[in-house]
Amino acid sequence: MNMSARRSFQMVLIVTFGLLFVFPLYWVCISAFRPEDDIFRYLSPLRIWTFLPNRVTFDNIVTLWMSPFARAIFNSIFVAVATVAGGLVVCAMAAFALAVIEFPGRSLVFTVMIVSFLIPFDAIAVPLYNVMRGFGLQNTYLGLILPGIGNGLTVFLLRQFFLGLPKDLREAGLVDGMGYFQIFWRIYLPLSVPALISAGLIMFIFQWQAYLWPLLIAPRTDLKVAAVAIAQFSSAYDVSFGVIFAGAMFVSLIPMIILVVFQQYFTSSVASTGGKE
Amino acid sequence: MNRRRNLYAALFFLAPAIISVIVLRLWPALVAVHYSLLAPRATSYSFENYTYIFGDPVFRNSLWITLIYSIIVNPLQIAAALGLALLMNNRLPTTGFWRTLILLPVAIPQSVSAVIWAVAFRPDGLINAVLAPFGIGPQPFLTSPDQALACIILMVSWVGVGYWMTFLIAGLQDIPKSLYEAVTIDGANRWQRFRYVTLPQLRRPLTFVLVADTVANFLVFAPVQILTKGGPQGSTNLIMNEVYTRAFLQGDRGSASAATVVLVLLVLIVVLVQFRLMNDSGEQSR
Amino acid sequence: MRSLRTRVGLLLLATSMIAASGAAFAEQVTLNFLTAEKDETVAPVIAGFEKLHPDIKVVHTTVPFDSMNATIEARVGGQDSSIDVFLVDSPRVPAMANRGYLMNLNEFRDAADKVSNDVAMGVVSWKGDMYALPLWTSTQLMYYNKDLLDKAGIPYPGAKEEDRLTYDQVVDLAKKAQAAGAKFGFLPEQIDRYYQLQPLFESIGGGSGLTGPDNLTPDITNPKWIEAAEFYSSLFKDGIAPRGVPNDQMSSVFTSGDVAFYIGGPWQFRPFNAAEGLKYGVAPVPYFKGGKPVVPTDSWAVGISPYAAHPDEAKKFVEYMSINPEGALLSVANNPIPPTNEEAYKTYIDGIAALNPDVGPAAKEIMTYELAKNSVSRPRSIGYVAFEEIMNRAFSDIRNGADVTTTLQQAQDQLNSTLARIQ
Repeated sequence: MNMSARRSFQMVLIVTFGLLFVFPLYWVCISAFRPEDDIFRYLSPLRIWTFLPNRVTFDNIVTLWMSPFARAIFNSIFVAVATVAGGLVVCAMAAFALAVIEFPGRSLVFTVMIVSFLIPFDAIAVPLYNVMRGFGLQNTYLGLILPGIGNGLTVFLLRQFFLGLPKDLREAGLVDGMGYFQIFWRIYLPLSVPALISAGLIMFIFQWQAYLWPLLIAPRTDLKVAAVAIAQFSSAYDVSFGVIFAGAMFVSLIPMIILVVFQQYFTSSVASTGGKE
Repeated sequence: MNRRRNLYAALFFLAPAIISVIVLRLWPALVAVHYSLLAPRATSYSFENYTYIFGDPVFRNSLWITLIYSIIVNPLQIAAALGLALLMNNRLPTTGFWRTLILLPVAIPQSVSAVIWAVAFRPDGLINAVLAPFGIGPQPFLTSPDQALACIILMVSWVGVGYWMTFLIAGLQDIPKSLYEAVTIDGANRWQRFRYVTLPQLRRPLTFVLVADTVANFLVFAPVQILTKGGPQGSTNLIMNEVYTRAFLQGDRGSASAATVVLVLLVLIVVLVQFRLMNDSGEQSR
Repeated sequence: MRSLRTRVGLLLLATSMIAASGAAFAEQVTLNFLTAEKDETVAPVIAGFEKLHPDIKVVHTTVPFDSMNATIEARVGGQDSSIDVFLVDSPRVPAMANRGYLMNLNEFRDAADKVSNDVAMGVVSWKGDMYALPLWTSTQLMYYNKDLLDKAGIPYPGAKEEDRLTYDQVVDLAKKAQAAGAKFGFLPEQIDRYYQLQPLFESIGGGSGLTGPDNLTPDITNPKWIEAAEFYSSLFKDGIAPRGVPNDQMSSVFTSGDVAFYIGGPWQFRPFNAAEGLKYGVAPVPYFKGGKPVVPTDSWAVGISPYAAHPDEAKKFVEYMSINPEGALLSVANNPIPPTNEEAYKTYIDGIAALNPDVGPAAKEIMTYELAKNSVSRPRSIGYVAFEEIMNRAFSDIRNGADVTTTLQQAQDQLNSTLARIQ
């Protein structure tokens, strides 16, 4: 098989998988433009209207944006971005200490970090709520952001990455008279951009997906996040699927834009780490 | 002198993370342990809640289901994520776009993804409509105790595989090209290059994905809650759904906390075993 | 120089703002009101109340229906003073009263008694005390698709009480309609929920499923229960009702014109009227031959948190919503379900009747006699929540084809062990 045939085959596979994964989302998007009655009407058997709306309406989009959805999207972005910014600093520092500095009790601290992300967040939501209320943080952005910042999973990811960087880097820094903070800031962080992006992704997704916690700590209308705002369109007696799907469409659009932008970093960071092991 | 300096430095670097982890995770978890030791109407600690849940066939079944689920879903997702990562790790035009599409499902609120899949799995729904032209009769999917767990696995994999793939792609791109060049000169074929360069070099990202994916799968519950509520006949009653049901639907805080503690211990054991295995195999292949 | 002036300016501004807000606080009390309803639903009653009491401002917070319990558990359970008034799903009143999540409202008993019927008063009481005020109630009707009945040559069922069909008759008609082309024959809307299915067991004479002095003893394996459950099971086994359609997508089966008979609440009038090309009528919910007619009932009541920051103002608000006919009517202005307030109900039901001239008068007649005579509340028990949860799972299993007797026996065992922890 020659090179270009192999490449075409690979491209076919990539496109096939891409389409398979995105099809449910495509269905969400077309449903967002359907009148409520039509959403479940053309499921089976397959026909052209299963894949295309036969009556197009913008009512769902209008209803969605007439509600405080714009505010909710802003809240979600703000909370996620603030978490990523704060969390990266906190977690990268912790990971650096766990990977680079030798001190007594290191494995104990590492175990604590691991245990922290084994704890199901939903199961401790009520006691955590009481802690946060003790600090007066209900209905505040800080109440939404803080639980995302100390993320054991992120610490774990970054530690794995730092361990992969050559030990000589630390020694060289120490010989040059650098303190640990300078080694961290000047040597490790610049080499870790791809890992930091991955870590940011973890924290971003954590907040973007968060549902029960925002609902408990900040139910006030002007603090609602997007996932909660969308859930609001289903009540005991009626569920507005069209509007929910319209919400889901926009909620997935924003990460998509962010991801497309960051894709470049993923690919351009290759081999920048130099002499590994 | 050096040791003390190291200790202070470590304290400085670790303090924010440790404080937040203790206040926001471990302390509330300790409260849950406290509740798990208080039987209904009791004022002193006992293991009554634990004996109660282990005597309860519903809880024992949920442990069993969780075990089966984990044994299937984790290897499946990791193999799929690794396969996709290898496929998508190239410089062909538009690959970045397709990668993003595969990652996208993780960005949708789980409540919405569950609605999508509920529609897909309806007996008169999309999947049966797609199968019909191939001569496959209507499948019961979520209404059958034999198929419901597989449906849940399909849905969580749709959500998760792209996510884990992303971490593996990042790992793949950190492998120095020179290593591949070296073994290619030695005449290694594709498989040998994968076996002797890619896999060992991917050990750390793989360990991360293995551990993180396992934990995530142990804690899955929104899809179960929305798609099946644990049924039919308990066949999808994963332990996290059981915890949620006890805590928020049945209002039994004691046994919900006990079940949580059991869950955390279970995951901890599995994760420790995984660390041990990954480190060993890593040492060997070096 | 300039920065000093700016600073002084800012200082003055800040002082005046604090003073202004201080003055505002002195005059106005803010009540926090938690529900699972949309803002539009409660906006009219809040506006009406604020007009009557300009010194009180009501701030509405809404959480999704499924998360209401978790929210109350966390916030009222955590003795949080930031919730004053909240809506309570009425069968949960005993459990919540028992946990101390509801303020005693005995002082309103006489006033509430005058405007509400016994069923509504019963569900807000527990062990002789009143813990919430009745607010809304519910009932159900049997909707039918006129086109599908015409196609099968089935005459439309009547709306009068004496026209009420038995379940067996409806199933026969449903099969006839299916033979003439209907995709499905007969289906209850909340297909595996106790709220919807309790009337089956009550109608046949099997009881609510809970007995004993405090309703903490399960009784779901008696022959009547098994008989009714077998009937329910057969609906799905024989393809009269669909398996695998989630509850919240059920009404779309009717609006798509795929089902002949459909049992649902008055909340369906609006969506059914809006559905293009759908011609429908209403009849009373069927009963079992030899049994009695039973329809589900009850809805949200309104309660006050014992930790409320402003209990006095909260009392004024709940009184306005429940006892004042004007407030009670405003509470259903954007809500399809009936108010418990009998004065307000008269205006409400005329509004329902006016929605659709074809079915309106029949709907008014049916709803009025069902609410007055045939409504049976869910069992009052501190174990109700756990009971409902276990029953819903059992119903879901039965509908998916599990053996009826085995499933009910397992549920009975599970109830025994779960309720024992609550006693």
